[in-house]
Amino acid sequence: MQYNSFTKEEWDKTLEHLLLSYTIFASIENEFGQDYELIRPSDIARISYNKPKPATSLKSFFLPVKENVTSERVDEKPRIILGIPNCDIEGLSLLDEIYLDNEYNDIFYRKRREDTLLISSDCIGIQEHCHCLSYNIKPYSNKNADLAVINLDGTIVLRIITGKGEDFIKKIPAARSLEDKSVISVIEKEQLATETLLATSNKGLPDYKKTGKLVSEAKAEIWEKYSTRCVSCGACTTICPTCTCFLLLDKPGFEKVKQMDACQYPGFERVAGGEDALFELHNRFKNRYMCKYVWKPGKFNSFACTGCGRCIEACIGKINKNEIFMELAK
Amino acid sequence: MLNDKNIYKPIRAKLTNVIDESPLIKTFVLVPEDKFSFKTGQFIELSVDGIGEAPFTPSSSPLVTEKIEVTVMKTGYVTEYMHMLKPGVYMGIRGPYGRGYPLESFFGKEVLILGGGCGLAPIRSLLYALEGIKDKLVKVILCYGSKTPADCIYKPLFDRLNSTEKFEAHRTVDKADEDWNGSVGVATTLLNKIKINIENSVAVVCGPPIMMKFGTIRLLELGYKENQIYLSMEKNMSCGLGKCGHCMMGEFFVCKDGPVFTYAELKNTPDIWK
Repeated sequence: MQYNSFTKEEWDKTLEHLLLSYTIFASIENEFGQDYELIRPSDIARISYNKPKPATSLKSFFLPVKENVTSERVDEKPRIILGIPNCDIEGLSLLDEIYLDNEYNDIFYRKRREDTLLISSDCIGIQEHCHCLSYNIKPYSNKNADLAVINLDGTIVLRIITGKGEDFIKKIPAARSLEDKSVISVIEKEQLATETLLATSNKGLPDYKKTGKLVSEAKAEIWEKYSTRCVSCGACTTICPTCTCFLLLDKPGFEKVKQMDACQYPGFERVAGGEDALFELHNRFKNRYMCKYVWKPGKFNSFACTGCGRCIEACIGKINKNEIFMELAK
Repeated sequence: MLNDKNIYKPIRAKLTNVIDESPLIKTFVLVPEDKFSFKTGQFIELSVDGIGEAPFTPSSSPLVTEKIEVTVMKTGYVTEYMHMLKPGVYMGIRGPYGRGYPLESFFGKEVLILGGGCGLAPIRSLLYALEGIKDKLVKVILCYGSKTPADCIYKPLFDRLNSTEKFEAHRTVDKADEDWNGSVGVATTLLNKIKINIENSVAVVCGPPIMMKFGTIRLLELGYKENQIYLSMEKNMSCGLGKCGHCMMGEFFVCKDGPVFTYAELKNTPDIWK
């Protein structure tokens, strides 16, 4: 693994310079919490490093809530997204499998992917519901981001992960190879500390090897019980980094508008004849678990739940999926 | 290498004729502006401009490529608009999508087709395709049930099949009227009247979910193996591309992995008859 380092000052100047040719989004803390924001030069100093995690998941950059998928796409400036937690990076792998499929690739998704540089952020510390490690996902990226960033007391260290990341670094004058190799062990120590926090916080939570079996063998009462607090609002699916279902709407001129949709909404599977396999609330509720822990893992290579915990935070009925898993594991 | 085709964009097709099949069913004859062909059992997404799009399996022969026929029952939002269309307008077509009938694996066999209701539309396309390969088949038996005699579409089809070498067609109705002197009862009752060498046959089931369910159960009772039974599944296929999630049935995207499945493939999937 190759490392580059910058002083914080050099890095901030670099970002300012990059704003001329890129649109940059980065994680910023504001009075409501932390989320991705469009960066202007004056925002650079406010960028939050290594703190988990933006409220919105990464998918919104690649799958807009609504888009016309029959009109020609206007070329936009390439994008840099800075400060992505690894749960979101791993979530993108499933989106790639679905949208960059060999037979039918989505040219809109693909263009956005090609034009975006992903700079992941090693998580230092955890949030209440973070549980990536339980699903075999590390709180730092070593494969699917282009670069990974860590801010160590004013020294910005970038880990080069992909060829795209390497090409990008080559064009940055201030970038230099990390000389002081002792920094690497400091990074590894930070990474390990976060892993320990995750392991302690999620002690007893069934891991990814058990979730599928637990969900498929769960009795109907579990879904009936927990779904009594579900109001079918779809917040869990909207916030989820791997939920990608959509609906195509027709506009005059044979135009199609692709709009994000969710199996939690009534009528998702209803057909014209009236049959609806997901008519009952507890069936819709169960469907999401079956999809994430049984069906998608059977069909794809990527994880369909990355343990980000956002669905727990977003639920207005205070349904905590980890509580369900703990109960199932009893 | 990924191609640059826009998977969401339909091709335009001119509606050249609308045939009334029954009070609720019409057949739309379409001439696509671009080259278009399909394999029997595959489906298309057909759109009414600005209104909506819905999946249909064409009812015409896959061997005819200059036009395509789609038989549509008026049953929902999009189909209500479709039924108002007059020849001359343009419709949108995407596809064809999915996995059709594996005709090669029917070679040397007897083919039993069990159909009900509007399921006869895709079956007609299959029958055309089977007529095209009849030299390679032992025989083809159609057992079809409709609610009433008036609900049966393509009535001339039955006489034509019965006068075609290697083909036989049987009809039944759930409820007879004064003029009906044929069988009365659900489609599966016809299975008692036919002679078929089950070991050397395949069965195709296509119709409303309830009929598919009891049809499959009856075929299994008669001795058909799970992998000898082909089901044409119907779900809310919205994108047709294995992406939108609406037609997910267990691990399968019906649009991409189906719509034709063997019962062996589906038997462990929950809620397949819903």
